[in-house]
Amino acid sequence: MALGRSRMRSRGFIPPKLQMTSMMDMFTILLIFLIISFSEHIVRFRIEGDIRLPSSSAQMDFKERTRLVVLENSLWLGEEKVTEIKDGAVVGLDPNNLKGSILYQRLKKCRREVEQSTDEGKDKNLILFLCDKRLSFKTINNIIKTAGMAGFPNFQFGVLKQ
Amino acid sequence: MLGLRGNRRKSDEDTDLDLVPIMNVFLVMVPLLLTSASFFNLKIINTSVPVLGNSESVIAQESDIKLTVIVELEEEGIRLSALSDEADTEALNQVGTYFAKENTRQYPLDKLSSFLQKLKTQYPKSDTVIIIPEGSIIYDTIIQTMDVARYSNDVQLFPNVVISGKVG
Repeated sequence: MALGRSRMRSRGFIPPKLQMTSMMDMFTILLIFLIISFSEHIVRFRIEGDIRLPSSSAQMDFKERTRLVVLENSLWLGEEKVTEIKDGAVVGLDPNNLKGSILYQRLKKCRREVEQSTDEGKDKNLILFLCDKRLSFKTINNIIKTAGMAGFPNFQFGVLKQ
Repeated sequence: MLGLRGNRRKSDEDTDLDLVPIMNVFLVMVPLLLTSASFFNLKIINTSVPVLGNSESVIAQESDIKLTVIVELEEEGIRLSALSDEADTEALNQVGTYFAKENTRQYPLDKLSSFLQKLKTQYPKSDTVIIIPEGSIIYDTIIQTMDVARYSNDVQLFPNVVISGKVG
């Protein structure tokens, strides 16, 4: 009698239970990590090439504006490549004739576009400057002087938060 | 025998926690947080290049004297000086000093910080620093010097930073 009853029980279908404990652990850790790295101010722009920004204790957030990017071997204005940098010298930028350079012309053009912009809150003299931390001041000096002459005397030096 | 079996209560049975609603929440929150996650925090330091301007000489009280501190980053050390329309030559000469690089070949930024804090205490109205690096100084060092000159221990020192090349 007893044997017959156990045979009857084994014919019943028992649905498999999905073991979700591991998945819950994984999602919990992922969620905590993403909450910590949540940011209201999302930076999204593309930089061609490798750039290492310096670290700083600066706290100020930046606003998207005209962007000058100085990599180890090239110089970009926004998404457009302006010229190359070789052995620490900007190609086509003569320190004795900064106004004759292509960088100056491009910056002047940018300045005209900014002037025509109807955005009231925008500081029109401001430029976002992203520069590789390994470059010497000799390379940077001529670039910022040119930008100053083209109508962008105020800079926002982009840094990574420490 | 039958009566004993009937005494087994339903509350003695194991109940499984239903994780499906929690998983639903996670499946919504994770993509949302992923789109707004920021792995690199970009901040900015406001600075400017020098521009020509008219300076008027104003007779000011001692507590109102504003100095413009000049920090020259040289190959072997840091040279400090100051400019002011309101202070006399003797006071400006007292500011002039030089911090040589230490044995580790690092710039003595802690000494610079202490000195700037003292200067700020003496001339609280001062808020501008001009940084003049030599050509061989790398950008990272310039940014670190700016950090030291702007803030120290959460105290604001000289928040207006001007960067300039050497003249002459």
